[in-house]
Order: sequence, then structure tokens, then C-alpha cells
Amino acid sequence: MNQADIIAKLQNIFDTVFLEPVVLTPEISAKDVPEWDSLSHISLMVAVEKAFGVRFRVGEVETAKNIGEFANLILKRQQEP
Amino acid sequence: MTGCRSQFSMEMEKLKSLLAHGEADFWPQMALQTREARDFAELFLLSSLRKKAHARKLAAPWPGKEKIRVAMLGGYSLYPLHELVEHLCEVGKMPIELWLGDYDNYISEITDDTSALHAFAPEVVFILPAQRRCVYTGKLTDARELVLAEGQRLIDSLLELARKVNAKSGSEVIMANFMLPVRHDLGAYRSRTPASDWNFRNWVNLELGLASPAYVHICDLAFLAHRQGGLMAHDERAWYESKQPGSPALLVEMSREIVHLLASFKRSPKKVLALDLDNTLWGGVVAEDGLEGIELGDTSARGEAFKAFQKYILSLKQRGVLLAVCSKNELARAAEPFEKHPEMILKMADIVSFQANWAPKSDNLRAMAAELNLGLDSFVFVDDNPAEIEIVRQFAPEVTAILLGPDPSEYAGQLADCRLFEPRSITIEDAERTGQYRSEGQRKALKASVTDMGAYLESLQMEAVVSEFVPVDVPRLSQLINKSNQFNLTTRRRSEAEVIAVMNDPDCIGFSLRLKDRFGDHGLVSIVIGRRAGDVMEVDTWLMSCRVLKRQVEEEVLNELVRLARGRGCQRLAGLYLATAKNKMVQDFYERMGFILTSESETRREFTLALESFQTQPSKIRITRRAYESS
Repeated sequence: MNQADIIAKLQNIFDTVFLEPVVLTPEISAKDVPEWDSLSHISLMVAVEKAFGVRFRVGEVETAKNIGEFANLILKRQQEP
Repeated sequence: MTGCRSQFSMEMEKLKSLLAHGEADFWPQMALQTREARDFAELFLLSSLRKKAHARKLAAPWPGKEKIRVAMLGGYSLYPLHELVEHLCEVGKMPIELWLGDYDNYISEITDDTSALHAFAPEVVFILPAQRRCVYTGKLTDARELVLAEGQRLIDSLLELARKVNAKSGSEVIMANFMLPVRHDLGAYRSRTPASDWNFRNWVNLELGLASPAYVHICDLAFLAHRQGGLMAHDERAWYESKQPGSPALLVEMSREIVHLLASFKRSPKKVLALDLDNTLWGGVVAEDGLEGIELGDTSARGEAFKAFQKYILSLKQRGVLLAVCSKNELARAAEPFEKHPEMILKMADIVSFQANWAPKSDNLRAMAAELNLGLDSFVFVDDNPAEIEIVRQFAPEVTAILLGPDPSEYAGQLADCRLFEPRSITIEDAERTGQYRSEGQRKALKASVTDMGAYLESLQMEAVVSEFVPVDVPRLSQLINKSNQFNLTTRRRSEAEVIAVMNDPDCIGFSLRLKDRFGDHGLVSIVIGRRAGDVMEVDTWLMSCRVLKRQVEEEVLNELVRLARGRGCQRLAGLYLATAKNKMVQDFYERMGFILTSESETRREFTLALESFQTQPSKIRITRRAYESS
């Protein structure tokens, strides 16, 4: 999997979760998606972790500035033994 | 696992398509998938779809239903717990209007008379107290009184909050209790001081549950986390990042429990449990396998499982559930086990309606409802046969039909987890009765503490039935004869045909003993076969289940053996011990029972007992029937 594959899979989750359609690009971030607030974020991350079979470490998701960095974080955690 | 997930994705795609086409089937399918959802992520995605359906104005599922006003507050962020609760309620046809408290603001929300909480006038208030504050703040070595006083203050403060909410708007209160620690901190010392988090929380949970008034319903977090596995329920990261009370998996369990409690305020409980017979109450088909052939009782693993299921069903009856039988059978054959099978826990007198015939089961259930003057919706029907369940679901849909799984050892747990017969919250009379019983309980506790063996045996209130070999017992007799190793003097094995041969031999006696005490029925536990040769009764077989060792069954069996030998004109008993790799336990048995050793070799010891001088052995077992004496 590369960043583009990750983003494509994220797109599928976002399509299910949010009412308003949003097209994910590496540059897009939470502040560009009105429904992606701190509350929906909690559930969204649980769904993402399950979909990719990863577990993020405390505090690290918020360090990702945009979807590109977030996808890279998923890749990094996927490559862990 | 991945199989389940791809199954879920398929169901999600189906739901999305139903939604896209505005199909009315969306809501029933949504309800079905919600019931079967396995984890937080699945429920969350379903809930997202549900919200989309609202946004697209797909007809509200259950119009006209009045919403229950529910407030949720506590020492946590109640997002996203609230969303699960809202979702489960809506798809469960019990829509609610939610009011959410702020993070850790519940004490002020409740104590401030002018708060938005009180303005909302909730019918039900869920309080999730801060788990982190249920700890003893002093030293681990502090006196018990100090520790318990702090626990009591915490309980009093929680119940005061509940009282206030209830006084203000008459709300029912759902109060969560406290999860137990899951880390090894303190080690074995954990259990040695009331000040450990483990003991402190256990004590608070216990006292909180017992002290709560009827309007308080405990959401037993300790139990939910335990059931899930403590480590699975805890999630430190979720606390640091977003002030969650536990893992996403625990949120699912909590939300299902809250919704279950909400529903229990509104729905009347089930009253009747209608039971299939073959492969439900016993293994096999009674009309084909016969009374002797069905699997029931303690001599086989499957038989034991069916017996345990019957015991669970009987415990439901004792709680007030009416039991009924709904079986495709000939009435006489179906009734036979209830009347004649010695291992049946359920008797005819336990059954309020017995329908064994060839009519569809849905018709029979309707007939029962009319007969008992109860609504069909108060019926639960269990069967191992999917076709019968399907018929009932189609033609008597008000009945809750439960398809038993493939393994009878799981029947009781499966029925319990359907949660259909849970007692309602305690009433004042219950509480008063508890007071009356308390003194009696103390008396019994005193009695239970006696250390003397005789007093202990006395307290067991043992009763035994001694019976000559009878046809219905033959399978059990043969099974026990063929599997007993340790307490078995001769280890002579016998097939069912050979057991029957003993029954028919006028020179033989054969009897068994069944034991029960106040804790339950041990079933058939001892077997003796004797063969008369002149004035000697040779003990061919003497065996006993080790579960009842030292209960004086040995003494009573000897008393019976002597009685029967005397009755047949014998002067003495001849005992024989044949050594095996496994029966060392009884090599001195005959000596202990007063026999005299007459010959001995490496593998064989022979004994004799003169009947003339034999004194009946005392015991604490009451014999309610003896062998060869028709009862």
C-alpha cells in the first residue's frame, strides 16, 4: 500500500460517515471538513484503526497536519511488526 | 475475523443501496444489522447511515412514538456513548430525546436547582460517576473502619445525587458503578487490605447496589467490564485523548446495557417459557430411542449438559416464570420421561401447559396463550430445530423464538444471555423481606461455621433412594459400571445386556443408590451386585462415584447389602478386592468397614463379614426408599 491507496480507502470511510460529500486529497485537513469536529473525530479514528488494523500511539494523530501526513502515519503503523 | 468484516461491508453496501433508492426496507435491515453489529466501528458506521436517512427524509421508522426524555451526565465526555445509545434506541423503536451533560460537571448540574438539566425535566437520568474518584485516599495500612467510612461517604453522595434528581422531576436513575482495576499493582497484597483499589471498589459496588432505592437502577460496569475481559474494557489512551470512560468495546456494552434498562421501564417482562423436548431437554428422540435411550443425567457429558439446562429452567420457574411444553410428539411418549425418567429435573407438576401433538407449533402456542389467558407476546419459545423456529416466527411473530445452538452445554448460557426473564427492580416489600431473612441468614452462617464433620454432614440434609436394578436405569448402570475406576472393588465391566442378565438372575441382587442434599442432586452414585452361593452373599461389584466420598454412602450401602443378604438367608458376606492401576483407594476398604481378611495375594484380597454380629452403621443420610420394596 502507498499513500494514494490509503487515501482511497479513507475516502470510502469518509463517504459513509459524513453527510456532505468530501473529496480527499493529501492537502485537505479537518478544518476543511465542517462535519469533522473534535467529537466525530473520536469515532472516526476508531473506524480508521479498525479498517487498517493499526493502533495509534497517544497524541500522535493530532500531529498530522493534513490527510497526506495522516495517511503516512497509517502506513508507518502498518509497517510495524 | 476478516470473513466477518467483509460480510459487514456487504451488508453496508446493501443498506446504502436501499437508502439511495429510498426503500422502506432500509429500517428493518438497519435494525437487523444493528442487532448483529460486533463492535464500535460497525455501530458507528450504521449510525452514520441512519443519520443520512434522516437527512434524506427517508420516512421516519416509527412515527407517532413519543420520545423518552433521557439525560446523560458524568465524569467523562459522553460523546460518542450518547450516539450509540441514541442509535440503539431509535432502531429499537424506542426513540429518545437526549440531553447531554458537560464533561465532569454532573454534581453541579444536579445540585443547582436552576440548571439546564432540571429545565429539561428528564424522565430518565444516566449518571456515570468518575471512576478515578472511587479510590481510598489514605494509606494502605489504615484501619478498616476508616476505609469503609470513606467508601460509605462516596455511596451516600451518589445516592444523594440520585435522590435529588428523582425528587426534582420523578426521574428514574440509571447509576453506573465502578470498574475494577486490571493491573497487577499490589500483587497478592491486593486482597489483604480494604484500602486497595480492588477491594475498595468491590465493597463500594456491593454496598451501592444493596443500598439503592427502587428508582435507582445500577448499570453494572464492573460486570460489563468483567464479562468483556478487564484489559479489553480499559483504554488509557482514550482517557488521555478524549476523556472516555473505557475502550470503544466497553462503550458498546455500556450503550446496550443502558438501552436494555430503558426498555425494561416500558416493556412488560416475558411470562412463559415454552420448551421443545427432543434435543432440547434431553439428547435424542424419545419416540425412537425410548426412555432408556435418551441422553440425560450425570453419566455422560452430553447427558450432564441437558440436565444442567433443565436445572437452569427450573431456577427460572422458581423466579416465577411459567413453563410449558410444545413438542411434535405422541403425548404418551413425550410425557414418559417426565413421569418415569430418574434423571429428569423437570416434572409434570412444573409444566403449566403440555402440548405434544402433530399440529404446527405456532398453533399450539396460540392455544396455550388462550388456555393461560396470556398475550402471545409474553411467550418465549426455544427449540433446537431451525424449521420449527421459522414456523413460529412466521405464524406467531409475537412470540420470541430462540434457536438453540449446536452444543447443549451452551443452552443455559444462551438462554440467560437473551435477557428475557430478568427480575425487575426491587420493591419495598422485597427490601423488607431481605431484612427478615437477614437474621435467619446469620443463624445459618453460625451453623455453617461448625468444624465437626458430623455436624457438617447433618447440615447437608442428605437423602438417598436405594433401588433394585430397573429397566429405565440400565444405560446409566452400565455406563457407571464401565467408567468407574477409583472406588471400584473389582472393576468388573458389564454391558447393558449383562446388567439385564443380573436383573433376571434369581440368585443375584443388584441395587443402586441415588443421593441428594440441600445443594442439589448427585444422581446415581453407587452400585452393588451380589451373588448368593449357599449361605454366602458374594459381593461381585461394589463401586461408588468419588464425588460423594466420605458422605457415609458407603455405610448406607453396607447396611442395605446386609439387609438384603439376611433377607435371603445368608450368614455372611464375602468381599473381594481385585487390584488395578487405579483402585488403590479401596484396597483397605473392606477392613475399614469391619470385614476380616481371609486370604491375600499381590492382586487379590478376600474378606468376610459375619452377619449375625453386624451392627447397623449410623449415618446422617435419610433413606427414603429401599431396594426390592416397591415404593
